[in-house]
Amino acid sequence: MGPQYVLRRLATAMFTIVMIVLLNFVLFRAMPGSPERILLGRMPGVTAQVLEQTRARWGLDDPLFPDQFVSYISSTLSGDLGFSYSARGRPVTEVLAQHLWPTLILFGLGEVIAIAAGLALGSYSGWKRGSVVDYVGNGVSLVLYSTPYFLLGMGLLLVFATALGWFPTFGMNTAGATYDSVLDRLADFASHLALPLATVALGLIGQYAILMRSSIIDTLGEDYVTTARAMGLRDTRILSDHALPNAMLPTVTLVAINLGYVVAGAITVEVVFNWPGLGTLTVEALAARDYPVLQGVFLLLSVCVVFANLGADLLYGRLDPRVRT
Amino acid sequence: MTSPVVPVNLGVVAPARRKPGLLRQLVSRPDGLAGLLILAFFTVLAMFPNLLVGPLETAITATGPRLAPPQAGYPLGTDELGRSMLNLVVHATRVSMVIGLLATLVTVFIGALLGITSGYVGGRLDAVTMRIADFFLVIPTFVLAIILTAIIRDVLGTGSKEIFGIRLSLITIVIVIGITSWSATARIIRSQTLSLKQRAFVDRARVIGSGDWRIMRKHILPNVTNLIVANAVLTFAGAILLETTLSFVGLGDPFQPSWGQILDAARNVGAPGLGAWWYFVPAGICIVLVVFAFTLLGSALDAILNPKLQARR
Repeated sequence: MGPQYVLRRLATAMFTIVMIVLLNFVLFRAMPGSPERILLGRMPGVTAQVLEQTRARWGLDDPLFPDQFVSYISSTLSGDLGFSYSARGRPVTEVLAQHLWPTLILFGLGEVIAIAAGLALGSYSGWKRGSVVDYVGNGVSLVLYSTPYFLLGMGLLLVFATALGWFPTFGMNTAGATYDSVLDRLADFASHLALPLATVALGLIGQYAILMRSSIIDTLGEDYVTTARAMGLRDTRILSDHALPNAMLPTVTLVAINLGYVVAGAITVEVVFNWPGLGTLTVEALAARDYPVLQGVFLLLSVCVVFANLGADLLYGRLDPRVRT
Repeated sequence: MTSPVVPVNLGVVAPARRKPGLLRQLVSRPDGLAGLLILAFFTVLAMFPNLLVGPLETAITATGPRLAPPQAGYPLGTDELGRSMLNLVVHATRVSMVIGLLATLVTVFIGALLGITSGYVGGRLDAVTMRIADFFLVIPTFVLAIILTAIIRDVLGTGSKEIFGIRLSLITIVIVIGITSWSATARIIRSQTLSLKQRAFVDRARVIGSGDWRIMRKHILPNVTNLIVANAVLTFAGAILLETTLSFVGLGDPFQPSWGQILDAARNVGAPGLGAWWYFVPAGICIVLVVFAFTLLGSALDAILNPKLQARR
């Protein structure tokens, strides 16, 4: 992996981020119709005077390029994403920061569990192709893959929270609860986290298992595996030392590529459980047509996904010495 | 000026001594047959909802008890307005399937057009198109779809106008799905076009004076038709999922409920918390079955169209 490879990946990531920022600008300002209509929404009794004030306040009378464009870019770069309409005019950056960590916890943990379980299930069923585990595992993976995350969440909620009463139905903490110790607080948090986390993990396991299964089957057909067999190595040794490391390579990229799709799942899972993260924020902002917040979410999530992809590319270059360009 | 015979065209009725038609090959495989049967069932539901369960019930015409479990007369229970869930789910089948179909057509059209032209023309056009395609593949398109739907709706307004029996507000969703999901199709079609372009029959057509547009239409397009069909099947599944998800976050149309809209209503009522499983389980099963059927059909088509893959797996 030479410096050229790293530079190329960096350039691609930067290019994508520039495109995202551009898209954000265009979406909001260059749409047919006028931005102040979107700003004011369908508010009744908008007089010409109010319209004029709004236009002046948001600098909409300045030429689109370069004035508005430059001020947009400079404020975005300095972390100023405007003000939320619905959250009493709080800065969007502040609103985003507040909702970021619940999503990070839910998603980070969910991904880790799903990757570990999915890869284990996938490699086992690929290794024992045609076995009962393979057959059942593949079927379950396919069904999970066809199920929208939120539907899975609603099902789990119905069974484990409403019918069995094992877990609370919504939120991140019991409302108004006082805790005797930090441990109690953590236990409460964990019981709230359990169902959304299970939903995210289950939703992801399917695709990782399917991917790992076909990847390991591909790898097992390679010459070096045949060689290892001919050398008389034990099955477990072939799997752990020769097949697995190579089969894991494509999953690194695919985990990163899938992140964009996974985000959609995150949004809906949070809504089902009223988890106060970016997903719930998105849906609330959507209902209130709070465009600055929506744009902020889009920018934040896109940049995260781009960096995750960049990280995966660099990691891949590290893991697979064949990658040079 | 006859175009050279190319041994593809599986979709068309085959003359004697050729491989059996695509449909027959599909039916002979268990996954293909299962997929086709499930889809046939839902197609019937989607085509004759009025015959099967009567016109769509509204808050005014609803007669049942409120939020009642399945009982005589209401085999799938009722919603909070007293509408029969069976009635809602069957009518929603039509809405979901038609939106899925239209969105697939739009997506595949954009993807095939851009894929063929950028692969065939190459050069700067190709570079720019593929950069944009990569961009759409990487970014979280769902969030973009939410914003686009909201903005387009606010700008166009939501009237009661209908296109193909689908309200304008839902046509917005069709357009947005098309804009955000064409890139995968374009990439696949482009790479196939790149390899086709090198083949002798394209050179021959060019030598005898066919223009670029004619070559793309008469020589490249028929040869990527199979790929387009296989891709459309997967796109359909994705379109149904995307429509469902968009409706679920509140972008559906309560006057023309789709499966996703029913699930959104169920969430708003708090059906999972109330134990009202009949509110969301039927619509949920429909979604999973249809997407599953398309996935089965997709893998069957893949195996038929790429025999090499079949040998390997």
